[in-house]
Amino acid sequence: MNILGIIIFTFIKILIVLSVMLLTVSYLVYFERRVSAWAQNRLGPNRVGWEGVLQPFADVLKLLLKEDIVPNVANKPIHTLAPIIALFVAFTTYAVIPFGPTVTILGYSIPLVVADINMGVLYVLALTSLGVYAITFAGWSSGSKYSLLGGIRSSAQMISYEISMGFSVGGVLLLAGSLRPEAIVDSQVGWMWNAILQPIGFITFLVSSFAETNRLPFDLPEAEPELVGGYHTEYSSMKFAGFFLAEYANMIVASAMIVTLYLGGWRFPYLESFGLSNGLFAIISVITFCVKVAALLFFFIWVRWSIPRFRYDQLMNLGWKVMFPLSLLNIVWVAILIMVFKL
Amino acid sequence: MPKIVIDGKEIEFKQGQTIIQAAKDNGINIPHFCWHESLSVSGNCRVCLVEVEKMPKLVIACSTTAADGMVVHTASEKTLSARNAVMEFLLINHPLDCPICDEAGECKLQDYAYSHSVGESRFVEEKTHKDKRVPLGPYVMFDGDRCISCSRCIRFCDEIAKDPELTFVKRGDRVTIVTFPGEELDNPYSLNVTDICPVGALTNRDFRFKARVWDMSANKTICHGCSRGCNIELWVRNNEILRITPRQNDAVNNFWMCDHGRINTFKFVNAEDRVDGPQIRKEGSLSKVEWEEAYNFAAAELKKFSKNEIAFIGSPYATLEDNYVLAKFTASFGSKNIDFIRHIDSSFEDDILRKEDLTPNSLGAEAVGVKPGKDGLNLEGVIKGIKEKKIKALYLIEDDIVSAFPELEEYLAKLDLLIVHATNFNKTTALADIIFPAAAYAEKNGTVVNFQGRVQRLKPAISTVETDRALDGMSMSRLDKFGTKYDRWAQGHKYDSKSTWKIISALSNVLGNKIKFNMAEEVFDEISKTITAFSGLDYDVIGELGAQSKLQAIEKNVNA
Amino acid sequence: MAVKKREKDLTFLEKIYIVEIVKGLSLTLKNMFKPKFTMKYPEEKFIPPASYRGRPVLVMDENGEERCVACGLCSRVCPALAIEVQAGETSREKERYPERFEINMLRCIFCGLCEEVCPEEAIVMSKDYELAFDRRADAIYGKDKLLVPINQLKDRIEFLRSYK
Repeated sequence: MNILGIIIFTFIKILIVLSVMLLTVSYLVYFERRVSAWAQNRLGPNRVGWEGVLQPFADVLKLLLKEDIVPNVANKPIHTLAPIIALFVAFTTYAVIPFGPTVTILGYSIPLVVADINMGVLYVLALTSLGVYAITFAGWSSGSKYSLLGGIRSSAQMISYEISMGFSVGGVLLLAGSLRPEAIVDSQVGWMWNAILQPIGFITFLVSSFAETNRLPFDLPEAEPELVGGYHTEYSSMKFAGFFLAEYANMIVASAMIVTLYLGGWRFPYLESFGLSNGLFAIISVITFCVKVAALLFFFIWVRWSIPRFRYDQLMNLGWKVMFPLSLLNIVWVAILIMVFKL
Repeated sequence: MPKIVIDGKEIEFKQGQTIIQAAKDNGINIPHFCWHESLSVSGNCRVCLVEVEKMPKLVIACSTTAADGMVVHTASEKTLSARNAVMEFLLINHPLDCPICDEAGECKLQDYAYSHSVGESRFVEEKTHKDKRVPLGPYVMFDGDRCISCSRCIRFCDEIAKDPELTFVKRGDRVTIVTFPGEELDNPYSLNVTDICPVGALTNRDFRFKARVWDMSANKTICHGCSRGCNIELWVRNNEILRITPRQNDAVNNFWMCDHGRINTFKFVNAEDRVDGPQIRKEGSLSKVEWEEAYNFAAAELKKFSKNEIAFIGSPYATLEDNYVLAKFTASFGSKNIDFIRHIDSSFEDDILRKEDLTPNSLGAEAVGVKPGKDGLNLEGVIKGIKEKKIKALYLIEDDIVSAFPELEEYLAKLDLLIVHATNFNKTTALADIIFPAAAYAEKNGTVVNFQGRVQRLKPAISTVETDRALDGMSMSRLDKFGTKYDRWAQGHKYDSKSTWKIISALSNVLGNKIKFNMAEEVFDEISKTITAFSGLDYDVIGELGAQSKLQAIEKNVNA
Repeated sequence: MAVKKREKDLTFLEKIYIVEIVKGLSLTLKNMFKPKFTMKYPEEKFIPPASYRGRPVLVMDENGEERCVACGLCSRVCPALAIEVQAGETSREKERYPERFEINMLRCIFCGLCEEVCPEEAIVMSKDYELAFDRRADAIYGKDKLLVPINQLKDRIEFLRSYK
C-alpha cells in the first residue's frame, strides 16, 4: 500500500465524515424541534419544504444574515476564537471513532475510521476536555456576568464529571486490554456488550456524557431562566451558530463514543456467522452503527424534554458523591469479572 | 360671636346666617340643589334636611337661620334616611340618560346619587315625559325630563340678570319651566343658568355634545371681552378651546360672566385665519419665513427711519408685559410717538358686569408707558402724521387699526413700513410688510389690569410650537398626559406664535439694544420695580384671584 | 423555632431516581403518539367561542344605525386610551350619536372593559382576531370598520346577557 493511496483515501474519509457530520448536525436540530413538539402534543416546524425538511437550511440562512454583534467590552480575539475551538474540538474528536469494519477497495485494505490510532480513547478524552476552553473563553471574553457565570459553571461541571467518565472508561479498557477503539469494538462480539457486562459503568458514563455535552438535565452553563443564555449570551449570527452546531456535534460524538465503548460499536450481534460477503457485511455494519447512534441521539433529545434541570449543588453532589464512587465500584466489578469469570 | 355645633364641631357664625351658609363657611358641605350662595332661598329641593336637637322635625338647612347654641346633625340616621328619601323622590322622574346628557361628570344630581342615595328605585311605573330639546333662547337648550324644579334659573333671571323671563308652569309632577309668553331667554347673562343648573336640564347650545368634561383640562385665566376682566376657566381638549366658564371671584365677577365673553372671546384662537409663523411681504404678497429671517428683515427696515418718522401703537388687548416691552422698545429708538387705540362702546355697558371699554387692559397699557412722551404724537397725531406722510413707518401690536379707522386704509397702504403683531389675519395685516404671529391670550403668561385697577393673571391654556403643556405648567387632562404624537386625539395643531414681549426683545437684540427677558415674570418684576403703581406686586401675590394695584379707576371718556 | 417538616419522605426507590426517570420518560414517550393540538392556521381557522374577546366592534341595529350614543364611557374606562369618541347631535330620539368613533387597534389590549361599561350594549367584543397592519394609520379603525350588523354578533350579546 503506497503512501499516496493512504492519503487519498484518508482525505475521502475525512470528507465523507465531515459532510455527514455537518448534515446530521443541522438535521439534528430539526429533529430535536420535532421530537420536542411531539412530546408536547404539538407539530413542530412543518412549513419549510415537505414536513419542514428544509427548515435547517432556513435556519442557517437566517443565522448567516443576522448582524454579528460583539460587545464593546469583549476581548475580541478570544471572543472570536471561542466558537472556533468549540467547533474544531467537536469535529476532530470524531476522527478516532470507527464506524464500520475494515473494507478492501481497489486492493487497498481500508479501516472505516478516519484515524486508527493506538490511544484513541485517550485522544477523545483529551479533546473533549479541550472543549471546556471554548466555553470558558466565551464566558470570560464576553465581558458579561451571565456569560462569565456560565463559563465558570461549565468548567467546574466538566472537570467534575470527567473524573467519573474517566473511571467508567477504565472498566472498558480493563476488559478490552487496549486503548484502541477498534480493539474495544472487537472485544464486544456477540452480546458481550460492555453495557450488559458492566451496567453501572454504562450508566455513569451515560450520565457523565450528558454533563459533558451540557445537555439537559445538566445544561447549567446556559440555564436560560438564570443566566439568559449562559456562556453564549453575547454571541449572535454565525458565532452563535458555531456554539449551537458544536453542541449538537458533541451530542453525536458522545453517542458514537457510547456506542463504541458500551454498545458493541458497529457490530451487529453474530453477523459474522451469517457468512455474508465482505461488502454486504460492511454496509450492514455501517447501518448498524448509524442506527445505534441515532437511537442514542433520540434518547438524548427524549431526556431533554422529560427531565427538569438540576440545581447546581445537586449537580455537584451527584458528580462527586454518586457518580465518582459508582464508577470506582464499577472498576471493582470489572476486576471481579476478570478475576472470577476469567473474561 | 354666636356659636353653633354641627356634627360635634363648634363653629362661629355671623348673626342672621342660615345653617347651610354657616356650615359652608366652615368647610362643612351640606348637600343642596336649589340653594345658591348668590341667590335667594327658595327651599324647594328638600335635600338639605338636617336634624336640629330640640326641634320636633327635620329642618332644611338653607332656610333655617342659625341660632346660638343650636346643635345640628348632618349625618345622623334620621338625616340620612330623610336625604335618601328625598333623593329617591327626585330620581323617580329623572330619566336615566346620563350617557346622553352633557352634564354628566359635573352633575350635582349624579354626584349625590352616588354619595347620598341607596342606588335603587322602587318606582316601577312609567316616568313622566315632558318637552325635550326646547330652545329657551339663542344660547340655552332646555330638557324638561331632566329638570328637578329647583328654580335656580328662574331666580337667577329675576335677581341677577334682573330680566324675569322664566317661570314654572303646571303642578305636581307635571311642573316644568317655560319662558313667559312672547319672551325668550335672551338676557346678556343667560348662559349662567347652564352653570347653576344642578342637572342637565339647561345646556349650552354652543357647547352641546362637543366634549365630555373629563376629557378637557380647565385652565384658569381672565376673560378678554371687556375691562371687567371676569375670572374664567378655559376648557381645552386636544389644544383647542371648547368652552369658557366663569370662576368665582367676589371682587370682580362673583359667580357670573356675560354671554358675549363666553361665546365670542375664544373662537379666534383656533380659527382658520390664525397667523401661523412670521410673514414677510415679498414682491407684493405675504409669505411665511423663519423667525430669524423675519427679525433680520424687520431690523434692517427699521434702521432706515429716523425717530420722528416712526410711530408705535400699543394694544389694550395685549398684556402689561407686552405693552411695557413695547414702550421700552420705543424709547430705545428715541421715539415718543406711542399710543394705543381705545375701543369704547357705551351701549355695551350695563350695571351688572359689562363695561363700555371692550378691551381687557387699557388701564394697564397706559400705566406701563404706552402713551405719548413729551412732544410725542398721540393716536390722533399719529393718524394725522400718516395722512400727511410725516410718519413713514408704523409698528403696531395686537390691534386692527384699519377696522377702527377705515379711512386709514389707503394711507397705510402707502406707508414705507408697516410691522404688525397679530393673532389673526385682518384688514391691517392685509397691508402689513412684516407680520409677527402674536400669541393669543390663551397661549401666554401675563397680566392685565381691569377697570378697577386690579391686576389679574393670564395663564396659557393651549400650547404653541415653543411651549409645552407639561413644562409650561398648563393644566393637563388625562388625554394630555398620555397622548403621543401617534394619537389623533393628541395631534391638535400648535400655532407658531410668540408673546409680543418676546418678539420685541428678540428684535431689539438684533438691533443691538439690550432688552433681555426670558420669562413674562421677569418683565413683570421689572414693571413692579420701575412703576410705582405696581410696586410690591409679583405673580405670587397676584395669584389666581388677582391683586389691587395703586392705579385709580379709569375715568369715563378718557378719549373724549 | 418551628421545624420544617417534609410533606413526605422519599422511599429508597424514589431516592435512587432511576425508576422515577423511567416513569418520566415513559410519560413523554406516550405523549409523542397522542393527537396533536396544533391548528394549521391559515388553512384551518380557529372559530372562537362566544366568550372570546376579539377586536371590539360597534353594534349596528337592524335599522342600520349604531346603538352608540357617544357617552364616552368606553373612552373613559379604556386603560390603554385606545378609544376616541366625538359626539354630535342628531334628530333621533336619543339625541346624541358618535360623529366620529375611532379605536386605535395598536393601543387596544382587548380587555373588554369598554363592553362592560357600555350602557347601551353598543360596543361588544367580536370574534375577529386577524389584526395586522403595516402602517400605524391603518390601525385606527373608524366607524366604517367598527360598525357590524347585529345578527353577526348575536352570539356574544347572548353570552353577555347570560352573565349580567
